[in-house]
Amino acid sequence: MAKPKEISVNEVLTTVVVNGQPTVVSTPKDVPLGAIIPIALQQTGNSGQPPENWELRDADGGRLDLSKLIGDYNFPEDYRFFLNLKAGVGG
Amino acid sequence: MTRVTRQHVDPEVSNAKLQRELAEYLSLEADFRKRGWFLIEAKGPLVSVLLASNKTNPPTLVTAVRFDYTNYDADPPSVRFVDPFSGRPLSDKDLPIRLLRAVPGPEVDVPGPGGIKAQLNTTQDLMQAHSPDELPFLCIAGVKEYHDHPGHSGDSWELHRQAGEGRLVRLLEVISKYSLDTVKGFNVNLTPQVTLATGEPPL
Repeated sequence: MAKPKEISVNEVLTTVVVNGQPTVVSTPKDVPLGAIIPIALQQTGNSGQPPENWELRDADGGRLDLSKLIGDYNFPEDYRFFLNLKAGVGG
Repeated sequence: MTRVTRQHVDPEVSNAKLQRELAEYLSLEADFRKRGWFLIEAKGPLVSVLLASNKTNPPTLVTAVRFDYTNYDADPPSVRFVDPFSGRPLSDKDLPIRLLRAVPGPEVDVPGPGGIKAQLNTTQDLMQAHSPDELPFLCIAGVKEYHDHPGHSGDSWELHRQAGEGRLVRLLEVISKYSLDTVKGFNVNLTPQVTLATGEPPL
């Protein structure tokens, strides 16, 4: 069995559900929350749309402040973010 | 006239792709249920989801959406709003809720000192139909009816397929954002009538 990856005390693991597909993102605690978006997109192979075309929401569907530091949120370990592609211009 | 979609992709391929998405959905079902999404049917290429709001008391079954993943993902899924009880597709006039989106408009000068400007927002309805009796379609990329519409011939599905724009959760997020998530409670419209109150008629 593969040995679990050790993370430093300054690192945080977050689960991001990208268009329904979960992935675990590792980042330092002292970076803005928005930093997890390009990493989650890269890990799930979503390269077709730039990060600004995606929106990050909490489990209740609420928007999150992407400029706030991840460590300041104090999310529980099993917390999940939901990253979804915005609706383009319709009509 | 009923349009019939013919299967031109190997059904096993389409089914395998849909089943993978359904498995991902079911692994997160508890999260989605909290948001008011209830997957009630996944039969063949058809997936039906009820959308309910707990912002009202009692909670309200707002609408239901049926996705048809025939030929996925060579083709995007068809998306129809349906009656939750009968499964009948809803005409435009019967939609229980519109999918309204605020679109930033032009800035205008506010009269008075200080040169203050205000931005005028307009509203765009993401559900489009040519008449109230027609079946409306969700007018965004990633939806079969959008890409089939002659007005969108320049925006082919192939430009969006790789970004997963037809994925079940992505489409539900958009629908939920512009419909279910906007529900804040009930609107009650009363029309009081005032007449003279009189006693029993005299003999």
